[in-house]
Amino acid sequence: MYTRIKRKRLVVIEVCGYILFGAILGKLLYSQSFKQAELLEGAIDLWERSFPIAGERGMIVDRDLEVLAMDLPSSSLMVVPSQIENKEETARFLSGVLEADYETILTKISARVSTQKLNPEGRLLDSKTQKQISDQNLKGVYLVRDAKRYYPKYSFLSQVLGFTGIDNQGLSGLELAYDSVLSGKSGSLNIPFDALGNKIDLLEESWESSGKGNVLMLTISATIQEIMEREMDNVMLEYSPKQAWAIAMDPRNGEILAMVSKPDFDPNHYQEYDPSIYNHNLPIYNSYEPGSTFKVITFAMALNERVIDMEKDTYMDRGYEMVNGARIKSWKAGGHGLQTFLEVLQNSSNPGFVEISRRLGTDTLYNYVMDFGFGAKTGVDLVGESKGIMFAKERMTALETATTAFGQGISLTALQLVRAVSATVNGGYLYEPYITKAILHPTTMDVLYEREPTLVRQVISEETSQKMRYALEHVVALGGGKSAYMEGYKVGGKTGTAQKVKGGGYAENAYILSFIGVAPIDDPKIVVYIAVDEPQSTIQYGGTIVAPIAKRILEDVLPYLQVEKASEQVPKAYAWNDKRSYVVPSYIGKSVKEISSKHHTFVYDGEGSRVISQLPSAGTKLEEGMRVWLWLGEDEVE
Amino acid sequence: MFHYRNQRIVLIIVILVIVGILAIYSASEVWADMKYGDSLYYVKRQSLFAIVGFIGMFLVSYMDIRRVVQYRKVLFFLCVVAMVLVLIPGIGIARNGSRSWFGIGSFLVQPSEFMKLSLIVYVAGELGSGKRYRRLLDYWKIIIASGVSFLLIMLQPDFGSGVVMCSAIVVMVIASGIDMKYFVYLLVVAGIGMVFLIVSAPYRLARITSFLDPFSDPLGSGFQTIQALFAIAPGGLFGLGFGESMQKHFYLPEPQTDFIFAILAEEMGFIGCMILILLFMVLLSEGMKIVRRCENSVLGYIAIGIIALFMIQVIINLGVVVNLFPITGVTLPFISYGGSSLVLMMGSMGILMAVSLRDH
Repeated sequence: MYTRIKRKRLVVIEVCGYILFGAILGKLLYSQSFKQAELLEGAIDLWERSFPIAGERGMIVDRDLEVLAMDLPSSSLMVVPSQIENKEETARFLSGVLEADYETILTKISARVSTQKLNPEGRLLDSKTQKQISDQNLKGVYLVRDAKRYYPKYSFLSQVLGFTGIDNQGLSGLELAYDSVLSGKSGSLNIPFDALGNKIDLLEESWESSGKGNVLMLTISATIQEIMEREMDNVMLEYSPKQAWAIAMDPRNGEILAMVSKPDFDPNHYQEYDPSIYNHNLPIYNSYEPGSTFKVITFAMALNERVIDMEKDTYMDRGYEMVNGARIKSWKAGGHGLQTFLEVLQNSSNPGFVEISRRLGTDTLYNYVMDFGFGAKTGVDLVGESKGIMFAKERMTALETATTAFGQGISLTALQLVRAVSATVNGGYLYEPYITKAILHPTTMDVLYEREPTLVRQVISEETSQKMRYALEHVVALGGGKSAYMEGYKVGGKTGTAQKVKGGGYAENAYILSFIGVAPIDDPKIVVYIAVDEPQSTIQYGGTIVAPIAKRILEDVLPYLQVEKASEQVPKAYAWNDKRSYVVPSYIGKSVKEISSKHHTFVYDGEGSRVISQLPSAGTKLEEGMRVWLWLGEDEVE
Repeated sequence: MFHYRNQRIVLIIVILVIVGILAIYSASEVWADMKYGDSLYYVKRQSLFAIVGFIGMFLVSYMDIRRVVQYRKVLFFLCVVAMVLVLIPGIGIARNGSRSWFGIGSFLVQPSEFMKLSLIVYVAGELGSGKRYRRLLDYWKIIIASGVSFLLIMLQPDFGSGVVMCSAIVVMVIASGIDMKYFVYLLVVAGIGMVFLIVSAPYRLARITSFLDPFSDPLGSGFQTIQALFAIAPGGLFGLGFGESMQKHFYLPEPQTDFIFAILAEEMGFIGCMILILLFMVLLSEGMKIVRRCENSVLGYIAIGIIALFMIQVIINLGVVVNLFPITGVTLPFISYGGSSLVLMMGSMGILMAVSLRDH
């Protein structure tokens, strides 16, 4: 009996064969259609080498679209080491053109990597170098699009703007804080290679286009910033202080209009500066004793709590006040005598503020200090903000309460003070300060995001705020802020002279002089703060050098803000050496012979015998000795 | 020319061999140019072998296969001797870590190819000898012959050939009507054997894990699988076109050998691969027809053995390339480059045809 082949088994065997072939086809179909996209992506990654192309970083512009930071297109060198046939020759050529070390270049172009950027030698080449390289037509050497950050106004707003690194990544300031908004998606040029590194043209070279970053629109006004930069530069030249800083803020919403930090730096060449210059944005970084400017805040508390009636209640300043055995002296020997509380503020009487602190009490004062936002970061959208130092409530005795009331023993940033003072004059509203007004589309300039003012809380009542405006106007007209008094513009403000703290005590002859000004005082549109750290060769008193700077700034800023001149204002109290102001009469239509003035001098312009125009216009108050410009013409004036 | 009965099968083989030569041309072009400075190096050699194989197939197809069956024991013994000799350094030549070749002139011959055929003839002779095959013990000669052959192949080592050969014998034994319960036992034994093999050579385990997730070791054990997938997938349904493969540009090493199907899938797409697989399926169907026609069961067993040997190698190769099976080093019959393999494969097809002429 033979062992015959079993027919049924043959069928099973054959069918098994077909099933296995079917399974192979199934797996093949799965890889070639369902899984295709995913695997193809991996394969293309394998075949192509990417040459990164820098995305275009968005501009930073001011509130009127003036450009503060922008990208300049450039090219950088990239090499594919495996494609370079003669490494020595290529390295010799490149080191010559790039003025770089031959050995360094040779090492870099011989590296066992697929693509290599020649960093930093081959980055951001000028057009001449680019041409020299492209003319040479070297194998394995490519020029790819890159971009260089450019700050057209150089040191303008430098600490706020910050700067970018070699790959255009934000490293400090707004460039860092808003890096994700500003940075453009980087693209790439993808070139197919075989596994040995030779370029092959089986696949098309593909181009992944790079993107554009969004435009950052700031609340900064370049005009105001320029005015303040100019004045602060002058301060630096004239008084050689260690540092100086300034802020301008719109008290109605917390928008920062200008922010200056001196010494400054050119962000185009930040490497040439000391890191402490470009890393410290002083108006938010420096935390220091505010001195008398803080009395504005204390005064607002007292008015809001109705513990004083500033014009009726009086205080007898005999030159000092004892608190817990400590003698707190008035800056004026023998004191200011009997004064209303408004005069206490005008005269910046420390004993007077000791009295106010007693009337307020530690708890109330502490709570107000906290409500005004001291001892905590303001939340401004900038990097590197300090929060200042405030006493712990449980450790505050009457002495700490008293010193806080006149601005000693606590530490705060300029920005904290500016927004708190803004709250005292704007109706009592404390805002979160901000510097980014909007984010715009890079090509259409459509608004993608707009920042709304952020109200933190109301600290004092509208009525108190009104009293504060009245009080601050009097300080400038009659008190310590007189140097900021301007004819025609109602300005409120307060000076501050803070002795610097060194090693646990106060330093001799080391002061931070400051002034905070508000204008126009009956409808505040701008709060300006200026601080000068250790000015040399001058009397160290806030009223003498800082208030005049504020005045010069406001003189230029207020017309720009289209603030109307006031018809009535608190007249200035003149000291013997103060210059008086006189109303300029109308000279228009008069002949040259008729023109004369006891108070002013004249500058003539144009040809003719009659005045056709004048500056300043008739009715303006102009300081004694100042010049009136007159334009002459022949035409009769209608 | 070929007997009319065999003309259809000859046509399929000729088509497959031509497809193979074209595939080798495209796949090896850049590799051959780099290695030998002649992009046609492999094509020329494969064409020459194809002609030799064709003549061989023609001659064998008219051979009286029954004579061969008579000398099966001598042939098997000679093959065993050759397999032992090839292991001796100086006589056998090693390639890719396996001592599997004899050098004859500038050509290399693998005795294991003859071993496989002679084992099939030997086993067919035993199964068709008229003895009763019911219980496992009845199969003892077959088991010993297969075991010796497998051992000799594994000493080279050539795991792929060993698996293909044993699988073919298993198919023959199944066809003989063995009680299937023994295969349940066999599976258990095979499982234990696999564990033993993996323990003895850990690279086999790496091959299995890399098969499950090739991307876990993309530069090591998963490398070839990934490179094959990166060839197959871009091919899509219609392929990149003849000569347009990217992976043959040194991404897939030696693209003309074991993984040639991946390059084919890349250039010809799913449709092209399907046509090729259909050709193999038609060949399977034609082969099975010959088996069914066989009155003389010895010849029938030879036929089923040869078909199984061929088809199992095809399925394992394709399964490995599409990542259905773990990597096993076997070539794709008629398509992959390899002279002695092509000649032997065509020769074995000649045997199949010889069977079909002597089936009564």
